[in-house]
Amino acid sequence: MLFHLNPSNGVPLYRQMLNQMRERILGGGLPAGEKLPSVRDLSITAGVNPLTVAKVYQFLEREGLVETRRGTGTFVASAVRTFTAAERREQLDPLIRQVVAEATHLGVGAKQTLQWVEEEFSKNQKRKNL
Amino acid sequence: MNAIEIKTMNRGYGGPPVIENLSLTVPVGHIYGFLGRNGSGKTTVIKTLAGLLKVESGSVDVFGRDPWLAGALEKQRIGYLSESQTLPPMIRLRSIIRFSAPLYGDRWDTDLCQSLLAKFGIDPNRRLSQLSLGQQRLFGFVMAVAPRPDLLILDEPAANLDVAVRREFLEEILELIRIGGKTVFFSTHVLTDVERVADSVGILAGGSLVAEAALDDLKDQYRRVRLYDFAGPPPHEIPGALSLRTSGRELSAVVRIDSCQATTHLAEQYSCQIEESQLPLEDLFIELTRTKK
Repeated sequence: MLFHLNPSNGVPLYRQMLNQMRERILGGGLPAGEKLPSVRDLSITAGVNPLTVAKVYQFLEREGLVETRRGTGTFVASAVRTFTAAERREQLDPLIRQVVAEATHLGVGAKQTLQWVEEEFSKNQKRKNL
Repeated sequence: MNAIEIKTMNRGYGGPPVIENLSLTVPVGHIYGFLGRNGSGKTTVIKTLAGLLKVESGSVDVFGRDPWLAGALEKQRIGYLSESQTLPPMIRLRSIIRFSAPLYGDRWDTDLCQSLLAKFGIDPNRRLSQLSLGQQRLFGFVMAVAPRPDLLILDEPAANLDVAVRREFLEEILELIRIGGKTVFFSTHVLTDVERVADSVGILAGGSLVAEAALDDLKDQYRRVRLYDFAGPPPHEIPGALSLRTSGRELSAVVRIDSCQATTHLAEQYSCQIEESQLPLEDLFIELTRTKK
């Protein structure tokens, strides 16, 4: 399992890892029931403190995304739910805020901004249909 | 269980106190990054932990014992790499190893010693003076780790190491921790090293800690904000803000936030727009050490 980690980023390492694992599980990149590497192994491949990995697994477990079976390891939960609306919103929120702040800065109104966002959506859709 | 517990420690060298009412705790199993500017007193604390300095008042405990009073067996549990090595330059490395190993009895791990020297490309048949400064540092590190200490204290271990070797060296620290039950306490100026491996951080300024927290929490506690588009002139002060600067109708500051609390309330309170970002440890360090000198 490979991660894109930047320790000097202001975002704590565990949260960078957590976000990437969450996306993989909820996005289907890691199928239900898949065995995850041990804390020790993952801390070696990612080159981070084992406590960081343990914390990531703890959060994932609390969110119901992974299960720890005693003696055998950590697995992607068998019944993985998808993102809730609130979680989707939370993920997008910083980006939305940034777009709004930049738009305000440039004097672009809400209507215009929304129109551009819609355009991007349809472009994306076309690419998918190709 | 705590590996290190310092309570209201005071220490000076005849003049004004260097360490003033310092309290600090390191739980077993943690990697603790000890930070501070030059002359802030880091080495004084480290020497005290290694049992080389006595406190004037307050208490210092390493595994529940004052290191100043600790006997040989207790000291065997502590590995220490000092800031400046003072070994005779003409001595061969293998002689240093032959001298050191018996001091630790069964604790000394000959295989680990050999494999680390091989990994760092250090030939034990060479003389100390034939090594580069970086290699001398690594050799010191190997000597500190070879007895498989329960607590490893490193004073500026990364000084003189190039980027590639520093990575390997950090990897070794992590490897030590992965075994379990071991604790590492290290001081450094290379903050990216701390961000890579440490889980707890203490920042020393003005003789005591200005911050001590899990590194993740510390990063979550502060935000850099830029407030703009004020209706009137921007405020000259925001309670609790560090390094507040204004320019025209803009304001930039570092603010401390409580968990779960967003910074958006600032925008409402001062009726303005807000932009926020998280701070790398380096910026945080500068902000926290600037306020107290």
